[in-house]
Amino acid sequence: MNEFIPLTWHDTLYLAPELILAAMFLILIVTDLFLPQRMSRAVIGWLSLGSLLLSLGFVIWRMIDMNPSGVSAEEAAKAGQAISLLGASYRVDDYGNLLKIIFLIGTSLIVLLGLGSTQKDEAVTDKAEFYYLLLPAAAGAMIMASSGNLVTLYIGLELLSITSYVLVGLRKRSSLSAEAAFKYVVTGGIASAFVLFGMSYLYGVTGSVSLGDFPAALPQAFADYKALVYVGFFFLIAGFGIKIAAAPFHSWAPDVYQGAPTPISAFLAVIAKGAALAAVFRFLYSSAFFLSGGSGKQAGDDVFFALLVIAAAAMLVGTVSALRQKQVKRLLALSGVANAGYLLVPIAISVTIIHSNNFSEFAFYLIAYLLMNVGAFAVVTVIARAAGHEELKGFSGLYYRAPWTAAAMLIFILSLSGLPVTAGFFGKLFILLGAASVQAYWLVAIMVVSTVISYYFYFGIIRQMFMRSNDEEEDAIHVPTVTGVVIWICAAATVALGVLPGPLMKGIDAVFSIQADLFVR
Amino acid sequence: MDQFTQTAWLIPLFPFAAFLLLTALGRSYRRAGVLIGSIGSLAALVMSLLVFFERLDPDAVDYSDGFKWIDLGVYVLRIGFEVTNLNALMLVIVTAVSFLVNVYSAGYMKKDERITVFYGYVALFTFAMLGLVLSDNMLVFYIFWELVGVCSFLLVGFWYAKPAARAAAKKAFIVTRIGDAGLLLGVIVLFWYMPGHALDFSSIHNVFSEGQTGAITMSITTSIALLLFMGVIGKSGQFPLHVWLPDAMEGPTPISALIHAATMVAAGVFLLARTFDIFEASAAAMHTVAYLGGFTAIFAATVALAQNDIKRILAYSTISQLGYMVMAMGLGSMTGGIFHLFTHAFFKALLFLAAGSIIHAVHTQNIQEMGGLGSKMRITTWTFAIGALSLSGIPPFSGFWSKDLILAFALDENPFLFVIGLVAAFCTALYMSRLFFIVFMGKSRLQQQAQVRESSKVMTIPLIVLAVLSVGAGFVETPWNGWLGGWLTGGGEEVHASAAAIVASIAVGVLGIYVGWLMFGKGSIERGAAAARMPWLANLLERQYYMNEFYNLMIVKPVRGLGKGLYAFDEYVIGGAVRLIGFTSVAGGRVLTRMNNGQAQVYGLTAVIGLLVIIAAIVGRRFW
Repeated sequence: MNEFIPLTWHDTLYLAPELILAAMFLILIVTDLFLPQRMSRAVIGWLSLGSLLLSLGFVIWRMIDMNPSGVSAEEAAKAGQAISLLGASYRVDDYGNLLKIIFLIGTSLIVLLGLGSTQKDEAVTDKAEFYYLLLPAAAGAMIMASSGNLVTLYIGLELLSITSYVLVGLRKRSSLSAEAAFKYVVTGGIASAFVLFGMSYLYGVTGSVSLGDFPAALPQAFADYKALVYVGFFFLIAGFGIKIAAAPFHSWAPDVYQGAPTPISAFLAVIAKGAALAAVFRFLYSSAFFLSGGSGKQAGDDVFFALLVIAAAAMLVGTVSALRQKQVKRLLALSGVANAGYLLVPIAISVTIIHSNNFSEFAFYLIAYLLMNVGAFAVVTVIARAAGHEELKGFSGLYYRAPWTAAAMLIFILSLSGLPVTAGFFGKLFILLGAASVQAYWLVAIMVVSTVISYYFYFGIIRQMFMRSNDEEEDAIHVPTVTGVVIWICAAATVALGVLPGPLMKGIDAVFSIQADLFVR
Repeated sequence: MDQFTQTAWLIPLFPFAAFLLLTALGRSYRRAGVLIGSIGSLAALVMSLLVFFERLDPDAVDYSDGFKWIDLGVYVLRIGFEVTNLNALMLVIVTAVSFLVNVYSAGYMKKDERITVFYGYVALFTFAMLGLVLSDNMLVFYIFWELVGVCSFLLVGFWYAKPAARAAAKKAFIVTRIGDAGLLLGVIVLFWYMPGHALDFSSIHNVFSEGQTGAITMSITTSIALLLFMGVIGKSGQFPLHVWLPDAMEGPTPISALIHAATMVAAGVFLLARTFDIFEASAAAMHTVAYLGGFTAIFAATVALAQNDIKRILAYSTISQLGYMVMAMGLGSMTGGIFHLFTHAFFKALLFLAAGSIIHAVHTQNIQEMGGLGSKMRITTWTFAIGALSLSGIPPFSGFWSKDLILAFALDENPFLFVIGLVAAFCTALYMSRLFFIVFMGKSRLQQQAQVRESSKVMTIPLIVLAVLSVGAGFVETPWNGWLGGWLTGGGEEVHASAAAIVASIAVGVLGIYVGWLMFGKGSIERGAAAARMPWLANLLERQYYMNEFYNLMIVKPVRGLGKGLYAFDEYVIGGAVRLIGFTSVAGGRVLTRMNNGQAQVYGLTAVIGLLVIIAAIVGRRFW
């Protein structure tokens, strides 16, 4: 048992990224109240962006601090030690920091996207809420990546979930949005129930909620209560499976993505999904992973195998369901289901001696996925505004009406379908090579098959874009500047990572160490 | 000291920038397009000359630099460039010919609607060729090797409205592909067996150079060498894959000069020089190279005797001269091969451009329809004469020196190949004098006499420059001055000089021209006499030994038949399977869409049932 030590003033510095978001959240609520009614809420958006970037700066500063260059190996190891706070319930380490950077950059892009699209969306009555509610949501995701015990994990999950329920329902003048929010609350409630149920079983058999205690306690608990351990793990996986939107727990995703404001759909697809994946990654590698070693080998293997099955199901169901989808946001939701499957693969194939860079594979594809998905949703905001609907045929003739945006969309689609020279290609390639190196050939086959099937609907979009629309000669589409910035940041980074994947992959490998950063001890 | 060498990677980027600019500008900027293409190649030429002069310093060391492109643990793919004396020489050859062809095309292609596209392709080709020359490892080399192939395909088929051009482009691509498949296999085998999977040329040199062959066994070395040689056979038009090169003459004439005479077809010889250590390590491979080169030299030279299309004659002559180079390599004389590549680049580019000037004036390629052009096109005639004399091996023109070096080497190493070389040299002199006398002397057989005029300055000046180079280029290596050999190989190769070889080489050259003059100039030997006495031989030569027919019968038709069979298999078996998969996917999509019916309670139920199924499947399998 870790002794509980209350926070000192010095410790608050370690928590600065999260605390900044919380404080700014409160300040912005009050600011919103006092701002005159007729004044544009864009200022709140820029302030939110500022606080996200400030928080990002602190995370990066912490990371540099923990990875000093030019010192002896001993000092580097000392500096790289995880900082454990509040009785080991909260951890600041490179695993969490890397993911926080991804989440914060992603949320910043979402805020920018909101400034470009939601700002002009008549269905959203309270525009300020859109911006400042993203702050606690991002903080929730960060807490999930940093949690050291099940309770903190659950708090992070709920903080993220509850704020996103509100965000989904922000288009108050649209019944679709209300319906989506309702469905999200209900399925989210089921997910929380599953997660809590699983956690309570694990607590029951081990007598601890701390991830750090599991490696020692679980093998004994498994020897005593086989069935209960199984139930605990499977319910947890199912609960997170709903949040990740992996098949067969994905049914809510198309409805919710469709109803939510488009930037929020992107947020759910990238940050909410990424945070749940991050939680699963950390949780399994401090619990089930240690079962695989000893007498509980069978159970540990089963848990990872269940994850593999879910990954495979997500890839197949996601791509196959998307085949007949004509609504862009539903299509992207289902493509997100398939991508959840790809992202689960590096977690599920388990760390072995011959294959140990699971995390860099995971993080690389998460970054690639963030870029191509946020970019694609950004293009959708532009198209939807011009066409007045979100059907696939809104893309028709895009090349003739906005050639540069069409070019960017082409990059995102190439990346989504995993073709070179884009980040998505290398992301999938690394995961594929990882799966092949542990001889999971059936999984490799499923990845390849689902990728090939996905070409069908991805190329449908390309065909639409380059096909001249039959309607009368339409005018050029106006792309708001901030949205254009988001699109081109994503496109440029996608291509850059597609040409030179090495430095990022190397960088992640250099910073991240399984011993110091992943395992909670 | 070697600041230009270190920035040599910039050289290919000039033409590449020109290509991008030309592509971006589109077709309307005709004059600007010509200017951009020419400036791009001129900049590359200037840089190359600067690098070349730096390399003249006897203390210059080879320089290479690059970066890791993809690092997959054991497999590291690098992109890099290397400057050696050989590379520097090739840089100058490529950029010089490219620049002159750019200038010349301003006149030759003036009326073509797609002139900017043409300049774009030429710039892309120059980029690819320079990249190939500078590459420091086999992988990058191979990528550029394919890229020059693509450019050649695009340019041969440039006038794609002509069915013959389309067919020729396709043929060029497919036939060289056969060789490239061998080359790729060679690279893969090399990659597999090299210590540390290194593919860079300096590691190859270290592994295979004398005394260190232990790392890779003899038989593997031989198979690597022969596989690489397949690439050479395809690209450099060696027998039996030479058939694409004469057909490639369907492309615009400046392209024939640039790609199919001076640079790309020489890439095979360059590859031999770059991987010379592998070949030297295997006597069997060296013999294959030498004999195949010798055979190609004499085979193509005899075919050239009976052709009537001016460009086809020059194409067969190119094949024959490439055969010379390959033979020299096979005999162990890298200097001889590269020296002949160097001189040949200039005089053959000259001959092609002069031929282009003629075609531009008379609008036919059939030499029997020309005649008497000497008085009307003075500059073209004189420069063509210089090129022809150089090719025929008459001193002091450059072709003499390089051919003599090869023959002298052959006399020492392998008298049989020396004789072959002499016979080929005789044929060369004969077909060139035939060409010259029929085209420029005698009575005009043209349809429209009045219109024949000398070409404009923009076309004749490159001819004059190339003529000067054709005369002067030979003096870098003469029997009494082995400068080039010493510079290229670091003094490793001794000078082969033999009075016998010089006398014999001059003798066959003069004899060939004399016989040609008797037959086609003076007319004292009946032109048709030989053909009348041996009609089968004339026919055989005119039909190019029936190689095309042979391929058609033995390969193309059976492959087509096989293709038809496979198509049926594809259509009914594979296609059926694909349709089945498609059908199942779509049906699956329909079912899944129906399950996604918008009812939140169904979603919850799906999740719970899904969980139960997973538990049952995974835990349940433990009890079965």
